[in-house]
Amino acid sequence: MIKIRNLHVHYQTDQGSVHAVRGIDLEVQQGQFHTLLGPSGCGKTTTLRSVAGLEIPDQGEIFISDDLVFSTSPEIIVPPYKRDIGMVFQSYAIWPHLNVFENVAFPLREMKPRLSQPEIHKKVTAALTLVQLDGLAGRPAPFLSGGQQQRLALARALVKEPRVLLLDEPLSNLDAKLREETRFELRELVKRLKITTLYVTHDQLEALTMSDVVTVMDQGRMVQSGTPIEIYQTPQERFVANFVGSTNFIEGQVQRTGTGPTQFGEVKTASGHLRCILPDGTTPGTNVVLVVRPEDIAIVSDTSIQQENLLRAKVEAVIFMGDALECQLSVGNQRLRTKLHPSSSLRQGQHVTLHLPRERCRALQRP
Amino acid sequence: MRATSRLLFWQYGVFLLVLGLVLVPLSFLILGSFSTARLPTDFSLETMGWVNYLKVYTDPETYALLGNTVIYVAGSALLGISLAVTLAWLVERTNMPGKVWIYAGVPMTLAVPGMLQAMAWVLLLSPRIGLINKSLQNLLDLDQPPINIYSLGGMVFLEGLRLVPTAFLMLVPLMRSMDPTLEEAAAVSGARPFSATRKITLRLLAPGLVAVMIYQLMTALEVFEIPGILGLPAGIYVFSTKIYAIIRSATFMPVYGQANALAMVYLLIAVVTTYFYARMISRVEKYTIITGKGYRPRQFDLEGWRYPAVAFVFLYLFLAILLPFLVFAYASFLSYLQTPSLEAMKSMTLKNYRFLAQYGEAGDALKNTILMVVMTATATVLLSFFVSLVVVRSKFWGRKLLDQLAFVPHAIPGIVLGIAFFWVFLKIDFLPIYGTVWAISIGFTVSFLSYGSRAMNASLLQIHKELEEAAYVSGARPWRTLWRVFLPLMLPTFVGVWIWVVLHAVRIAGLPLILYEGPRNQVLSILIWNMWDQGYVPAVAAIGTLLMLTLLLLTLAVRYIGFRRQFVQSPTV
Repeated sequence: MIKIRNLHVHYQTDQGSVHAVRGIDLEVQQGQFHTLLGPSGCGKTTTLRSVAGLEIPDQGEIFISDDLVFSTSPEIIVPPYKRDIGMVFQSYAIWPHLNVFENVAFPLREMKPRLSQPEIHKKVTAALTLVQLDGLAGRPAPFLSGGQQQRLALARALVKEPRVLLLDEPLSNLDAKLREETRFELRELVKRLKITTLYVTHDQLEALTMSDVVTVMDQGRMVQSGTPIEIYQTPQERFVANFVGSTNFIEGQVQRTGTGPTQFGEVKTASGHLRCILPDGTTPGTNVVLVVRPEDIAIVSDTSIQQENLLRAKVEAVIFMGDALECQLSVGNQRLRTKLHPSSSLRQGQHVTLHLPRERCRALQRP
Repeated sequence: MRATSRLLFWQYGVFLLVLGLVLVPLSFLILGSFSTARLPTDFSLETMGWVNYLKVYTDPETYALLGNTVIYVAGSALLGISLAVTLAWLVERTNMPGKVWIYAGVPMTLAVPGMLQAMAWVLLLSPRIGLINKSLQNLLDLDQPPINIYSLGGMVFLEGLRLVPTAFLMLVPLMRSMDPTLEEAAAVSGARPFSATRKITLRLLAPGLVAVMIYQLMTALEVFEIPGILGLPAGIYVFSTKIYAIIRSATFMPVYGQANALAMVYLLIAVVTTYFYARMISRVEKYTIITGKGYRPRQFDLEGWRYPAVAFVFLYLFLAILLPFLVFAYASFLSYLQTPSLEAMKSMTLKNYRFLAQYGEAGDALKNTILMVVMTATATVLLSFFVSLVVVRSKFWGRKLLDQLAFVPHAIPGIVLGIAFFWVFLKIDFLPIYGTVWAISIGFTVSFLSYGSRAMNASLLQIHKELEEAAYVSGARPWRTLWRVFLPLMLPTFVGVWIWVVLHAVRIAGLPLILYEGPRNQVLSILIWNMWDQGYVPAVAAIGTLLMLTLLLLTLAVRYIGFRRQFVQSPTV
């Protein structure tokens, strides 16, 4: 378990002080795979490094399991080598002067009381088998491919069975195909070991496919935390909707708030009135932005079945993407994107009718 | 934070030490140039004036000296660079056979000390005893020896040969980074072949070529040994030898202040060249970023000229390394120098080597040299390591300044630094440093600091911070991390810099000649110089043969470590 309370981190650069983390509160349950997702410079890596003890925060508390490893009052700073953690760095940080075996044995050799030689051998072999590097134990570390280095770094992080595993963009240095395979392997492995994992990435696909919980960060703050499905389907802020997946935004003004359990309201937009799910606390006149995922927009030929949330649109461009057909449309001045099955036969310049299902349209308040 | 404030003490220590080592001698050099007292020990702030400058710069000899220096420096740089460009082009851009031998052989010529090479060429081309001269005289029945090595021409020829290896090593990557796609891009943009070469290739190469040129000019300007061996006997002076001659004048009482006054202009020229060199280098680096990677440059087909080209290259290697060594080895087995003949072969003897073994001064010099070289190399490694640690790894306020301070000695010719320290050690006579090997060690350490700190900076930057952080999170305490990760990774650089310093401290004669005093404080370079001066040619040949062999082995060791280092550092990120 990892618990972070009101964390603030500044660091010094040549340009001056940067307030990198501005009040993070986070709890990673025992055995949970928790991802910090955000663009570069959002403070996610700084947060992770604070948990590792490699950055010293200015304020806040950090617990690993139930041990307080950092706090400002009373002042407690447990150094990284006493925190019982495993960590995989973005560069992998494989020590080039040691071979594969010695790289993995390193954490064991630093343990007190000292482990016996056979014990070290047994644990290293087990860790190498776990990441499918058995047989390479004697190889000098620099003679490994990128994927092998990544797995070696993982074996080194896991070998002493730490209480938590910290991963700093471990897949970003792999090529696309390998990254895809490794995503599933990695998740499967840490789930099998039931180890609490904090994972940092800027890749939304990694975050969605691997995590139990995703926390989206921006400019040193947490924007939203939830399961991948929640993050994708019910973004609470425009930033989340934009950063995770691709999205259509339609600006408008609340016309009517909904009543009853379904809570569908009505929003007036430049392209017409649209029914949608409204956030709590909106009143008629509130400025909102509608969020609709491209794959939720359908093209309808028979307008007699549907009467609401229909828009007349012109096809501006059709882009074949292999597994899908991306279609760019214009409704007046509004631009929309939709994803269709590749067999659809749309042509540029064609006029079509779009249906935006009301349960798929979410309004977010805008300032 | 708290940890850093505790560490600030040693950062200040390093800073002040380097500040003192660099600025104190420089201040003495400048103040000394205004001193009207004859001796540095009599120097005081009351006795100051322009008299040294007046004396030196109204003397017509100074202008003759300036003319000699220009001819010598420009001539040798021109010869050296032309040879190096040809060699680099042949190995990088043509289908000449036997390239591996050239890559291995050319850097080897660095191992031969300039002093010994000059002496070897005297044995070959001196008008009185030169083997080639004598053979030609016999062969062609000449009255006069045809070639005189004791001349500006001889200095230009030899220093030109000496400049080739460094220029070659600088030019090879330049030639290699000429990305043909850049020219192809010009071609598809409509440029004709000639204008593509002119507008793209030459433009890209220009800053690199200019940088190599400036660097070679600087080296030729600073070198003491070649003009010392070839120019001094004939009374042909350049800056470095004139300053030495003023200080070590045997005939009249030296006026030390005049040496300083002369050194000031010399220093000014060196500083200006260094400044332009640094600017050029930053231009070169800007260009290297945009060149491509992973291509095989097209090779020029030499056709019938392939073997003449090989012959040319091997002629260079023969002249630069094999011939001096053979001449020395040959002379070392003879009681006196004679042209090779059956008779000469019969009279070969080991008595020169026996003489060395019994000669007391040789033993002292060897002991002193080992002590001096080990101290210098160790001090340089430690000092430059701590300097780099502050510069690269700390947030110390003066780290940029410290970096520049450590680079300053790069611009100071060895002889000038020698004079500067000469004043310091004579003035601080409460410390018995002057004239000892300690004085030589301190002088050399400052002189090599710029190279050492550059090498350490590069190496420290290569060691990604995450390699150490990975050790911390693996449970290693700071000192364990230092011991198991940091030091092993730095070790190749330590050893590399150490050997580099040894190689240079052994062979440079200028600075030790100024700072030593008395026969008991000689190092090998001084001993060789003095024995040569007194005409012990066969003994010099014996000692030179042994020294060359040792240096060659050390150079091979450096190459081996060079490979190791590549292997250790390439894969980190």
